[in-house]
Amino acid sequence: MIIPALIGSLPRPVSLSKKLEQYYLGRLSEEKLEEAYREHTRRAFENLRRAGIRVITDGLYRWDDIFNPLIRFIDGVEVNGLFKFYENNFFYRSPVVKGELSLGENPIPEWLNVALEIKEEVYPGAVLKAVLPGPVTLAYHSINEAYESLDELAEAYAGVLAELMKELPVELVELQEPALAAELSRATREKSDSVSAETAKALIERLEKVKALWVVTYFGTPRGFPEGVILNFDLVEGTLPENYRGDLGVGIVNARETKMERRDRLVDKLKPLLRKHGKLYVTPNTLLDFLPESVAWRKLKLLGKLGGE
Amino acid sequence: MELQILPTSIIGSYPKPRWLLRMYSLYELGRLPEEDFREAVKDASVAVLREHERAGVDIPWDGEMGRSEMTEYFTAKISGFKFYGPVRVWGNAYFNKAAAVSKLEYSEPLVLDEFRWIKANTTREIVKVPITGPYTIAEWSFNEYYSSKEELAFELARILNREFTLLEKEGATFIQIDEPAMLNHPDEVPIAVEAINRAVKGVNVKFGLHVCYSNYNLLADYFDEINVSQFALEFANRGFREMEFLKKLTHGELGFGAVDVHNPRIETPEEVAKAIRKVMKYIEPERLYVNPDCGLKLLDRSIAYQKLVNMVKGVEIIRKELAKEGKESIPFRRSA
Ligand SMILES: [Zn+2]
Repeated sequence: MIIPALIGSLPRPVSLSKKLEQYYLGRLSEEKLEEAYREHTRRAFENLRRAGIRVITDGLYRWDDIFNPLIRFIDGVEVNGLFKFYENNFFYRSPVVKGELSLGENPIPEWLNVALEIKEEVYPGAVLKAVLPGPVTLAYHSINEAYESLDELAEAYAGVLAELMKELPVELVELQEPALAAELSRATREKSDSVSAETAKALIERLEKVKALWVVTYFGTPRGFPEGVILNFDLVEGTLPENYRGDLGVGIVNARETKMERRDRLVDKLKPLLRKHGKLYVTPNTLLDFLPESVAWRKLKLLGKLGGE
Repeated sequence: MELQILPTSIIGSYPKPRWLLRMYSLYELGRLPEEDFREAVKDASVAVLREHERAGVDIPWDGEMGRSEMTEYFTAKISGFKFYGPVRVWGNAYFNKAAAVSKLEYSEPLVLDEFRWIKANTTREIVKVPITGPYTIAEWSFNEYYSSKEELAFELARILNREFTLLEKEGATFIQIDEPAMLNHPDEVPIAVEAINRAVKGVNVKFGLHVCYSNYNLLADYFDEINVSQFALEFANRGFREMEFLKKLTHGELGFGAVDVHNPRIETPEEVAKAIRKVMKYIEPERLYVNPDCGLKLLDRSIAYQKLVNMVKGVEIIRKELAKEGKESIPFRRSA
């Protein structure tokens, strides 16, 4: 069985950005901004239903990048300037870790409640998952001024995430973990320390005890496989290792190029995987932020057509 | 041709006058005739050119008044590109990322009109023509047509080479290739180097290369292989730290980024002078030009102006010190 799914974000519609800009200038009230979020989320869920995407996210419309605003709600973190997100012309605000980490008050569970409510109205058949950055990726993209090692920092982030995950009103949590597959690029900055493969695996498996996990990797091939999770592989820029036996998601449409994939070629690619694994999720290979909105939706429709094959 | 030692220049963009931004919106909405819009751009161009000159900048430009954005301006003029819509860069900032959908062709001059207008209106002998480089245009485009990014970048180099040849014929003496993306993929730096070298081939003007907000260690290994005579780099934003890589710049000139374009605080002349003294530990003054880190367009116009004024004042402090050593002028070097 093939199940089309979304991972991470949808491109933020320009119309929503305009509302945000107005809000920052003090020309739009918080209530009106909230209305805009809800309206755009509703539209996104309707489009996802039409496209036949069965497992969905809220599109991260309230997020600027996979770390923000979450890191603003973590005590011990300050938010720094912009860094290149891997080798993309896309920039994230980086966390600077100044002290011991703990979860502060945050609206993320409430945001998901809102999304769930809208989903029940317009697309009750879909499964909604929460999206959070994983502990390993958070550690790599931080400027660490407080912890002895990156292993310890990743562990501290895992503690914060576990606490947050308990409060979320959904059963399934997606962890964005590109760092499991892609080294921090020298284009971002020279890295000095790393998270060991054992720590990475152990931390994710510990989080899996809190909620069911969908671990999304991209821009390479993950070197280790945490157990008991759905693991997403990027088949555009990485490969699916022969020895992987767990639950499987495959990123098969390229979210960094506008060229449309041919459906028959995708089907040919999926056939052997389906024979071996029986059930698989098909997804874009990475965040859809890298595409113009119109093309992102065309690619999602293509994914939707693979469902059930 | 001789220049005063430590020639001052700009990188490219400058804040557009508010009235011009209004003209842009009206024009985009179809509520302003093209003729009127073009005239507004030309008037703004002279206003900003004068502003650069009044600040004391030796080698000015018009702040790119006629360009809405640094790649879209070019991709819109090269045939074979198509626009599907904006792509987000961070927060609520987007740009119109073009897609190469068929063979790219040079179908009209890219910056010739700008150059002619500025040349006719400046009081200075030299102006600097900034043009987005082949690798950055390739990197900031989608590629549906070419078999590789390399092929796309080389095709763009061919197109830019035609423009450079034309500019030389029209009397341009200083062209700056802007390659902010050339260090995005550490493995592809050799492709960017080759694309730049193809773009400048056979053109006898002074070429500068601007790269910003990147890991310069990736660039330093190629200093001697890139056929430009100057590297214009950002330093103020990184607090004038990480300058060790400059030890590898043994021949070329440095365009030293002395004021931060991402911070509205106006540097004092003494701060600028101090930064120049620091960079002179790596590069002798005969190989130094001074400019802002990058384009000034994100700043408030009055702040951008004051930054240029203080940059020039800071340079004058050092010029006085150098005069005591008998160092007062340098030749305008064209060759790499
Ligand atoms: Zn720049």
